[in-house]
Amino acid sequence: MNELLQKLFTCVEFGKINAASPYPPQMRGEDGAQELTQQALAAGIAPSQIMDEALIPAMTCVGQKFTEGKVFVPQMLLSAKAMNAALTYIKPYFSSGEVQRKGTFIIGTVFGDLHDIGKNLVCMMVEGAGWEVVDLGVDASAEKFIAALDEHPNAYVGLSALLTTTMTNMKTIIDQVHEKYPETKFIVGGAPVSAEFAAEIGADGYAADPQDDIKILESFLNA
Amino acid sequence: MERCFHTYRYPLCEVLPSLDELARHLHMEGDVEHPAYHYMQQRLAELAASTLETIGGYVLGRVERMDTAAGIVTVEGYDFRVGVQVCGYLKEAEEAALFLCTAGALFSDEAHALNEQGEFLEAYIIDTIGSMTVEHAMDRIHRALAEEQAGRGLKITNRYSPGYCNWPLVDQRALFAFVGENPTGIVLSNSCLMHPIKSVSGIIGIGTKARRRAYGCVICQNKTCIYRKIVAREQGEM
Repeated sequence: MNELLQKLFTCVEFGKINAASPYPPQMRGEDGAQELTQQALAAGIAPSQIMDEALIPAMTCVGQKFTEGKVFVPQMLLSAKAMNAALTYIKPYFSSGEVQRKGTFIIGTVFGDLHDIGKNLVCMMVEGAGWEVVDLGVDASAEKFIAALDEHPNAYVGLSALLTTTMTNMKTIIDQVHEKYPETKFIVGGAPVSAEFAAEIGADGYAADPQDDIKILESFLNA
Repeated sequence: MERCFHTYRYPLCEVLPSLDELARHLHMEGDVEHPAYHYMQQRLAELAASTLETIGGYVLGRVERMDTAAGIVTVEGYDFRVGVQVCGYLKEAEEAALFLCTAGALFSDEAHALNEQGEFLEAYIIDTIGSMTVEHAMDRIHRALAEEQAGRGLKITNRYSPGYCNWPLVDQRALFAFVGENPTGIVLSNSCLMHPIKSVSGIIGIGTKARRRAYGCVICQNKTCIYRKIVAREQGEM
């Protein structure tokens, strides 16, 4: 791998945002994701190559470490921040079409539920994996999901819930969305949700953690 | 029974999590170089020095009926569909305390603003401080209730909240109607969510045979449930 991309990968993996960031201590004084992305672009490396060879694999690595319990939410958020610092320079190429998104993922915490930490983590990781993410926030109704699908009819949908008493609202949303968009695929997740429950309510996938969301989305693409 | 709201206010400095507790909660013990650690230290100090306070309390009522098969507790004409599991835990209760408590809007407002600015880590930390603060305040109220009832020769149960252990969130309406006027400033949304977000509500049973017990965590899959954390905290204290 190109040396710049290798360094960028490391910055995102360990949450080194820019040269001024004192963390991680072993990288103090070195350039961070922000500077390295600028340098990579200036060196003529294609934005898509920066995404495919540095940013996406780095976030995949972080997601995997999170799944394995080797890092926790704060470390993951720091990586997401470094990723975002890099994306600032890549995003213009999304709109120009030079970098293709893999697809669109609409996500929200279901109505009756205000918990958003898990959902926010999924947003960051899925965006980091090269998807466009439409975040409907918390307490999101079926109408809100349908309105988002009106704008992005080919999108996949993610539903999050933290309470046993609100996870049942997932089925209401799936049923109502399917009345208008019968082909829409759903991924559900959240502390009380299980694979059995996901199957029972007609979801197409159950994600135990953000990395699962990415794997399931990839499987939808390859189906 | 005359219904009135017993109010408890605590300055933030008394109910904020300690730096160690917060770091432990976030799996960051000893990671003093992490930028989050410095932020936690600084923000906790600022909050402790503020004049802000939590506010909460409860209204006592007589338990008129306990339908354990249907999972309904009736307190002075108000039916609470707490579910079979919670009803079983409350079955010895002769009275009940319906409680509310809030840490105020600051925490979620600040977390929201930080998220909007892309400061995800700081947002997560302030959100976590808010959650821990309101639970600490409610721990104090819970203890105060226990002491007050001990003076009457009565014991109390654990606390249970709508939204947990299969108690439908929609019962927040009955709970707020029962509690009536109160100084907490908590309001319910159309989908029965409390604002400010860092608020808790629920029921505590009171009676000569009432007792605190382990929460039903063994049969529940919710690893992030606040009651699971209460159990862990209490076990840590023992």
